[in-house]
Amino acid sequence: MRIRHFTFALLILLVLIVGASNTSAQALDISSGGQPTIIGAVSGSVTGSLDVRNDLVVTINFGEVSPLNTNSIVKVVVPIAIRSNQPYQVAVSMSGLNNANAEAVQASDVGFGLQNIRVLGGAGKICTQSTHIIRSPFNDDPATSVTIGSNGRVVYPSTLANLSGSTIILSGPQLSKNNSSIRQQSDGYIFDAIFTLTPQFFAAGVSSATLLFNISAGPNVPC
Amino acid sequence: MPRHTTKIIFKLNLFTVLLVISAVACLGQSTTGTVSMSATVSKFVEINSGGSVTLTGNSGGGVTTDGVTNSPLAVSINLGEVGPSNTNSFVTASVPLKLRSNASYVLSASATVTSSGTTASRIGAADVGFGLGTISRTGLGVNSGSDTNATSGDPTLPANGSVNGTTGRYEFTAVRSNLSAFSSSTTALSGPIIMNAVPRSNANGLTVPALFAVKPQFFENGTTTISVTFTVTAP
Repeated sequence: MRIRHFTFALLILLVLIVGASNTSAQALDISSGGQPTIIGAVSGSVTGSLDVRNDLVVTINFGEVSPLNTNSIVKVVVPIAIRSNQPYQVAVSMSGLNNANAEAVQASDVGFGLQNIRVLGGAGKICTQSTHIIRSPFNDDPATSVTIGSNGRVVYPSTLANLSGSTIILSGPQLSKNNSSIRQQSDGYIFDAIFTLTPQFFAAGVSSATLLFNISAGPNVPC
Repeated sequence: MPRHTTKIIFKLNLFTVLLVISAVACLGQSTTGTVSMSATVSKFVEINSGGSVTLTGNSGGGVTTDGVTNSPLAVSINLGEVGPSNTNSFVTASVPLKLRSNASYVLSASATVTSSGTTASRIGAADVGFGLGTISRTGLGVNSGSDTNATSGDPTLPANGSVNGTTGRYEFTAVRSNLSAFSSSTTALSGPIIMNAVPRSNANGLTVPALFAVKPQFFENGTTTISVTFTVTAP
């Protein structure tokens, strides 16, 4: 009798554990998509993780962006990995970068676009009935679309000023084939978040901002 | 069901809950990530040539090394004859300067004047008139602002000089109207931020002519070398 009770309890235990794994694994996940890169910087840097199984924690230092930096542009590419077993959307919200001086660095001076969404390994789900959509106006590489505005200031097609609250930048169908309970190196998609800043006669000072990327359940599109 | 069996099942259920919590916690997944960014803008000032030199009233001489717009300022001028054989009222040189900054600026000048003469009649720093002319802040991306000219402007203006009634020598008498006032680095011009937030490729800026003048007189024979260094800083 005792053995039956024990076996019954053990079975319940296993079912619950498996159930917990299935309901939580791969539901929605965002992580590092690889090593970020920076070019054109003077005294600048970018830190992040090469390993796609690590959290997305990236620190960008654009460095000197006064005319002391004689490069035409500072460009940072941040690969970001996303995984899901359902339709998803990625939103971004920003804090900081609220300089009162109009001649200081503003959100509109930081180009921001998404490019190159690609499968992360063999377990990335390739859907045929829906596509991954980079939301307007973020579908661009701001470094290749630099123009000069009527006031002489650099203009990009999309910038951090296009973020208003939590702004959806990307959405699409299921991303992952499997339901692994842990991040893997080949079970989702990667996209490049591109940030640019052109050295200009900005008013002197230090500017900073923090972007929060968030993945959540998206529009219910078929795979 | 025996009481001890119920206890066992209760404990197993507790253990199960812990395992479930542990399983969820060990997934290592996250729905959020952060990208932090920062940028630094240091104070920046620069001085370049604002264009070609204009030399007038000269007898002989000429512009040896001319100014080239937006290139480093390195001008060389031969003022020619400044003895009485030059019958012009003044030999003047106008050297255009171009300043750019993302902060308030100060333009200073320091001058040395050396002559081969040995008497008081040789050309000295006080015999070389100096001033800054009309200041121009024009063009796309140039910030409007009010600049302070610490010189008296065109040294050839009647208000800025005259013949000394006692010695008969022509003197540049106005405030900072000759190079003796710039024997050490001395402010000639200052003002607020020059450029708005525009890229360096924007070639506009603040332009101002540096005006030099020598009144031909019965100076002692010889040659004179005048060297002026302009420095712009962002205090």
